[in-house]
Amino acid sequence: MFQQILALIIILFFISRIVWQKKKKQINNNEFIFWLTFWIIAGVAILSLKYIDKIVGFLGFSGTGIDILFYIAVVILVYLVFKIRIRQARIEKNITEIVRNISLKNKE
Amino acid sequence: MNLHDYNVNIFCVIPSYNEEDHIVEVIKDVKKITKNIIVVDDSSTDNTYSLAKSQKVTVLRHIINRGQGASLQTGNEYAYSNNADIVVHFDADGQFKAEEIKDIIKPIINNKADIVFGSRFLEKKSKIPKLKKIIILPLAKLINKIFFGINLTDPQNGFRAINRKALETIKIENDGAAHCNEILIKSFKNNLRIKEVPVSVIYNHFGQNILNGKGRGAGGIKIIKDLIIGRFIN
Repeated sequence: MFQQILALIIILFFISRIVWQKKKKQINNNEFIFWLTFWIIAGVAILSLKYIDKIVGFLGFSGTGIDILFYIAVVILVYLVFKIRIRQARIEKNITEIVRNISLKNKE
Repeated sequence: MNLHDYNVNIFCVIPSYNEEDHIVEVIKDVKKITKNIIVVDDSSTDNTYSLAKSQKVTVLRHIINRGQGASLQTGNEYAYSNNADIVVHFDADGQFKAEEIKDIIKPIINNKADIVFGSRFLEKKSKIPKLKKIIILPLAKLINKIFFGINLTDPQNGFRAINRKALETIKIENDGAAHCNEILIKSFKNNLRIKEVPVSVIYNHFGQNILNGKGRGAGGIKIIKDLIIGRFIN
C-alpha cells in the first residue's frame, strides 16, 4: 500500500512537471499528450495492481504484476534510448552537412 | 611512370586533425607527385591549418571537428567540382609514402579499376604493431568477410585511389573511422572494379586503441557500432 502511494506521488510529480512545461511552452502539444497519456496509464496500472496480478497469473507468468510492469518499463526504456540514439545520429549527419557546406563555400 | 605523360587530373585529399608535426613534410612529399592537394583541416586546435596554408595548397576548414570520414567526403566533393579524374586519399600523419601514389593510381590510369586500395599484406613489408597484426586486423577482415562478403587483404587501409565514376557512386556518410568499411561495402554493392596494390605503412606510437576510436584507424568496437547505427538512419 505504501509503495503504491509513493508511486502515485511520483507520477503526480511528473504530471505536474509536464503541465508546467506545457504552460511555459517548453514542449509541444504532441509531446504533452504523449507524456500525459503515459503517466495516466502508469497511474491506472498502479491502482489496478490486483487485477494485473490476476491477468499475469492467468497468462502463466510466475512473477507478480509489479514485476511485469517493471519488465515492460525496461523494454520501453531500451526502445526509447534506441530511438534517441537514431535521432542523435541524424542530427550529427545534418551538422556534418552544414559544416561541409560552410567549408566549401568559404573556399569559393 | 611519369604522371605528366597522362592527361588526367589527379587530386590528393589529406584529412588532418592536429597534425602540425607532420603536415608540412607530407604536403612537400605529395607535391612531388601532384600539385592538386586538398588539405581538409578538421577543426584542429594546433597550428595544422596555418602550416598547411603556408604551403600554398587548397585548405578547407571544418569549423567543428567531424571526423576523418567527414573530412574525406568534403575533400571528395571539392575535387569532384574541380573536375578531378582521380582522387587519392592520403593520411596526414606521415604513415604513407608519397611515391607510392603512382602505384595506387596505375590500375585506374590503365582502366583496370574504378577504385584501388592499398594493402599492407601484399609484397611490401610494414612494421605492424603485434596487437594490430595478430588480433585487430584479422578480426576486422573476418567481420568484413562474414557480414559484408568483402574479401580483401587489408580492409582498414586508408590509402586508396578512386576514379570519377566511383566518386559519383560513393558518398561517405560515416563521419568516423567506419568510413573504411563503408567505402568497401559501397564499392562492392555498386559493382565497381576493385584492385589492391601493395603499400608500405610506417607506424606511429598513437592511434592503436581498439576501444575508444581515437587516433588513426582505431576503435574496432566503435566502427561496428557506427556501421549498425548508419544502417538505421540511411
